[in-house]
Amino acid sequence: MNHHTSTVTVFAAAALLGLTTSATAAPPAPQAAYTSMSPEELAEYLVFEAGGFDLDATTQDGSTALERMIQDRTQKVCSAINRSGEELDRATAAKISALAEETIVFPEGGVALGDWKRGEAIARSGYGFRIGHRVDDHASRTPGGNCYACHQLDPNEIAYGTVGPSLTGYGRLRGTSDAMLNHTYKILYNAHTFFPCTNMPRFGHHGTLTQEQLTDVMAYLLDPESPVNQEVTETAGNEQASAD
Amino acid sequence: MVKPIASAAAFAAVLSTAALASEVRAPEDVLQELIDNHESAYLTQSEQNIMMMPDNAALWTADEGKELFLEKRGPNNVSLETCDLGKGPGVVDGAYVELPRFFEDTGRVMDLESRLIYCMTTIQGFAPDDPAVKSRHGTDSDMMKLQTYIASRSSGLPWNPPLDHPLEQAMRDAGEALFYRRAGTSDFSCATCHTNTGNRIRASVLPNINAPHEWTKAISWPAYRVGHQQVRSSNHRVRGCYWQMRQPQSIPGSDAAIALMSYWTDAARGQPAILPDMKR
Repeated sequence: MNHHTSTVTVFAAAALLGLTTSATAAPPAPQAAYTSMSPEELAEYLVFEAGGFDLDATTQDGSTALERMIQDRTQKVCSAINRSGEELDRATAAKISALAEETIVFPEGGVALGDWKRGEAIARSGYGFRIGHRVDDHASRTPGGNCYACHQLDPNEIAYGTVGPSLTGYGRLRGTSDAMLNHTYKILYNAHTFFPCTNMPRFGHHGTLTQEQLTDVMAYLLDPESPVNQEVTETAGNEQASAD
Repeated sequence: MVKPIASAAAFAAVLSTAALASEVRAPEDVLQELIDNHESAYLTQSEQNIMMMPDNAALWTADEGKELFLEKRGPNNVSLETCDLGKGPGVVDGAYVELPRFFEDTGRVMDLESRLIYCMTTIQGFAPDDPAVKSRHGTDSDMMKLQTYIASRSSGLPWNPPLDHPLEQAMRDAGEALFYRRAGTSDFSCATCHTNTGNRIRASVLPNINAPHEWTKAISWPAYRVGHQQVRSSNHRVRGCYWQMRQPQSIPGSDAAIALMSYWTDAARGQPAILPDMKR
């Protein structure tokens, strides 16, 4: 019994100090050690040290799944705020925004609208970057942005999500000034710039959409010809096949 | 048969769901009572599934699971009737709504799947890599049959996972941290989709973990998934969510998976389980 307890203590201490590094191979620690950890410490331990996830799997970009689970500062801070249920304080919000602003890389020669038709395909596609039991093959199919999962865009599309705000008429309401183009590019690249701790993925920062794809999505949002900026009656009959 | 249920529902609206907490009830009646007492787009989103509930294919799976539970099997040629699911050897009724829980004999907090595996390997003598134990997914797996049977004997009972043991509390709290933990190429966590009421992903209405009356349906697994034409488990749901989040594959039976389930079961506390359920 005593021997058991001391092993447990050593294991817990090692985990807390980050001394044990290998992930899925090691047998899980005796749970008795868990009560000496904070909920956050235990969660980290369960992710990285106790075989909770297949961390050795490869990903589309040649990294390992392990890297997907390592949180950056924005993810860490925003997770804690969200969990606390409290409002983001101004100082932290400013810090998150500044961090986001630093990440933004503009296209050479400035921001210009791409092709709204390609943008629409990107907005409709949820393909890409999924790993695990079924791995998305980027060689056979280009990843999308999955905008419709969370946003309304084309007013004729009824299968739109509501986790994010409606973007129907986005360009019609805002116009296509250079300032609006830059503003929109920044939101797509790293939305935390203007909306610290937003739910929206950082498409440019993570490289899940290329610069060219970002400008195509911008065209879908801003181009006066785009279905996003038409009235409902004028675009009756949606010809684009849904490519979810 | 109809009358006592209707009056019970009326009673529940006045008192609380705990008033009728003691008997196993048909899943369609449990769901209907929730719909009658709460406004929820999530609960009512599939009229067709609600209509099909009495003919849920998972009810057959539960029947097959009962036979399997009572059958003498494995190298030791014994049934699972001495398996302790937390309420004593052989007690199935009401066991599932009190999981995950701490077990003295293993010194661990275990969910239904890991406890079943423990019983099959220690009591019946199955090797861990025997297909009876190892095959976890799909209607035809022993694991899904047994889980569906055991869970169905908790239908209508309020979720009530114990938190008296320090490890149960620690696992629940770590599960909460995991639920809110944003990571990966899309910065998602479980909370991204499951902390608001009435939000949709595309056309699917999402359940809110902070609304126990809809969260009980969200965690009512095993369920027949119409889109898969298979009975699926809690672990299968967790795997699917991590896949959608672009994060690594969740490992069933791991303490991370069990911690997450400890938190999500606690979040539905007091609400009646719908087992087996039907989902899109």
